Amino acid sequence: MPPKNCAICNSARAILKRPKTGQLICKDCFFYVFETEVHNTILEAELFKPGDRVAIGASGGKDSTVLAHVMKTLNDRYNYGLELFLLSIDEGITGYRDDSLETVKRNQEQYDMPLKILSYDELYGWTMDAIVAQIGKKNNCTFCGVFRRQALDRGAAILDVDHIVTGHNADDIAETVLMNIMRGDIARLGRCTSICTQGEDTIKRSKPFKYAYEKEIVMYAYFKKLDYFSTECIYSPDAYRGHARAFLKDLEAARPSAIIDIIHSGEAFEIKEVVKATQKLQQTCKRCGYMSSNELCKACTLLEGLERGMANAGVTDRARKRMDAEGPAPENLRTIPFFQQPNGLRRTEIAIAYTPSS
Amino acid sequence: MSSCGNPATESDALMPRRPKFDKGKNCVKCKDAPGNIVIRHAVYCKACFFPLVAFKFRRALEPFVNPKPDGPRRTALKPAGNLLLGFSGGVGSTVLLDLVNRSYIVNQKAELRRDGGKDHPRHDKVWKRVIVCYVELGDALPRRKDKTAEIAEVVSHYEDVEFVPLRVQDAFDPSWWRRIYGDQALPQLRVSLENEELAAVLTNPPSTEPLGSLRSYLSSLPTPTAVASALQSLIRVLLLHTAVETKSSHLLLGTSLTSLAISLISGIGQGAGFNIEQEIQEEWVPDIQPASDSNGSEWLGGYQKGVRIIRPLRDVGLKECAFWAWWEKLQVVGEDRAGWPESRQDIGGLTKDFIMRLEKDYPSTVSTIVRTCAKLSPRGDVSGKCVLCERPAQEGVQEWKARISVRTTAQATDAVVLSSSSTPRTDDAAAAQLAPHLCYACHTTLTSRNARPPPPLFPSVSKESSVTLPAWVGPRMRRKVGEGEMKAAIQEFLLEE
Repeated sequence: MPPKNCAICNSARAILKRPKTGQLICKDCFFYVFETEVHNTILEAELFKPGDRVAIGASGGKDSTVLAHVMKTLNDRYNYGLELFLLSIDEGITGYRDDSLETVKRNQEQYDMPLKILSYDELYGWTMDAIVAQIGKKNNCTFCGVFRRQALDRGAAILDVDHIVTGHNADDIAETVLMNIMRGDIARLGRCTSICTQGEDTIKRSKPFKYAYEKEIVMYAYFKKLDYFSTECIYSPDAYRGHARAFLKDLEAARPSAIIDIIHSGEAFEIKEVVKATQKLQQTCKRCGYMSSNELCKACTLLEGLERGMANAGVTDRARKRMDAEGPAPENLRTIPFFQQPNGLRRTEIAIAYTPSS
Repeated sequence: MSSCGNPATESDALMPRRPKFDKGKNCVKCKDAPGNIVIRHAVYCKACFFPLVAFKFRRALEPFVNPKPDGPRRTALKPAGNLLLGFSGGVGSTVLLDLVNRSYIVNQKAELRRDGGKDHPRHDKVWKRVIVCYVELGDALPRRKDKTAEIAEVVSHYEDVEFVPLRVQDAFDPSWWRRIYGDQALPQLRVSLENEELAAVLTNPPSTEPLGSLRSYLSSLPTPTAVASALQSLIRVLLLHTAVETKSSHLLLGTSLTSLAISLISGIGQGAGFNIEQEIQEEWVPDIQPASDSNGSEWLGGYQKGVRIIRPLRDVGLKECAFWAWWEKLQVVGEDRAGWPESRQDIGGLTKDFIMRLEKDYPSTVSTIVRTCAKLSPRGDVSGKCVLCERPAQEGVQEWKARISVRTTAQATDAVVLSSSSTPRTDDAAAAQLAPHLCYACHTTLTSRNARPPPPLFPSVSKESSVTLPAWVGPRMRRKVGEGEMKAAIQEFLLEE
């Protein structure tokens, strides 16, 4: 095939076919459109205001590595006036997180950003290795997902920021839309396409890569020579999400715009008002002070189950009832430290790139 | 077996096999007879199965028969018009026709009572006319068999049912359109599929080769998904206009629970999230006055209520439909899959395979999908009706697309200005942009490309730079608003003379 000129600048030689639009474009135009789309996303949702303290969470995987780079670039180019941080969670999975944390530490030096690493062991007294040793691989993603969400909020509180931005990409969001429809999770379906979520007293979270294709994130890392570790978790047998992901990849192969089309669909509908009225109100966990839809938050329920040797209590209603029937929690039960909101809930951002695992 | 294939490891990741039925082998309804069919873990005997399906059918249909939905009171069923049944030859529509026949045609005769005479109002049919419409796709795709004769034969088994066969190319036939709407059919729209704006021009006189126009239209679409979804949309709109022609107030489709779940997911995969409600149930109002109602009285009276599209089998799974057809010995002609032999699989086909596979492991999947989608409503404002699929279009679609996928070095805001400033002119010779008049899904159908172009549909039909659009697009791009329609819009503000 004879060389073609870039479909955007029409002068340089095209060297790639854009996964999102199918356009043949040059490297510089790819960087331009990729960064501009993220910038458009940030502007449209009014994510930041000057002076915000923005911690960029980092797993060391592709999303977080590219996110750290793009956030730094856009902050400098468009004078967002943000103070950027890095926040990492160490789940305690031997051979999985160790290497990727090295990438995060390198990012800390490259971008001159303060880094906080918070471990499950430090916070909950359990590593994922220990959890899997007790419960096996089935349902372990439930523990990891719930624990991570709370760990991020607590890390944000330690860094004294009150706004978390996750690095979910378009593929993650599209997959979540499909999965929530297929398993009837109406509450999550209603919020999974929101770029920013915040309750009355919760920490704000945003997703600047909401419209960025996973393939383009990899492409960006490749052309910018950013190195990262594969963060495919060794404990992730989440069969249902696996089905949804495989299906999404098939749809993308049939028509590349499918990913963005699913996100558009997700944004074009909402939960009917009559259904919303039946949803549980948010409250505060009586044990750890974290937001919860029940008396005890999910993390405290899961931890109590682990501590009392009834790990499934946090996973199924039946197991929960069985644990309740055994009597109240012993007084010396290990608990999660009480959650303190960051001072004054400043509107700051923490960008964290983790692939959702539950 | 574990994901690595070694049964010796990861035994804790194995899911225990669930039994096919939850309680016992006897029918859960009569508690007596041994079961013949398992429906989502519940066992039913053959005798209880038929009333169960008939009940689900009526429960989904009868509350919506009267113009103002008011509950399932059978005796008070008074629809505003006739009944049109969209028949594809598949198992769903075959069962639907059988159920309509049993419930509203045969039973009516059997239930005649001697007292009050045969003309007693009690003996009036619910539907004065029941019409079956079949849209033949044989000419649209290569190596397809024409099934019109087979379908006609199936329909002929039912008494008091009229048969209206159509061909999908009728959508491009000015004479078909003129038959319903008179001379308002005159302009046709040609559109260039070269770029996102979709430059369009009205042509007059219209093309008189509907088959050529159809094939050229389908051949110019960028993906097999687009071809499949364009055909589906053509069939749907053909049925809607046929409902107008036959003065039908209701259009019934044989979409089963399983097919509905598939079409919902497939629609979401193609960006039609705004139309989730219409995919389940739809009220469609024609905005062009039919020629037969030239005095406007019936137009303002009956048709303003529009056509109600109902899927009465929306609670009945494909398996139940298949059992009904099998036990009732119904002749099922069968539907061909979308696409053509050389093409890659389209999104609809992929979704069907995926859902059918998933349902084996998770039997509640289809009903969960449908129940979840029934809890959704469109978000945002409606900009109008999409000129291609005639469903509500969401406002700001082009601006959204320009912001999410930057295609030029100019800032996205420039792109937004470009698309929103392109208000089409209304004279015949005017060039206009079609994009602002389309819904997200139809715009995506016409513009979204794959890395590799699809194999040609027909070797003899080459891709053209501009193609003719279906007959209903042109008139809606330059529709003159009639006095009756104007009056209807401001009726509540007019004082009596």
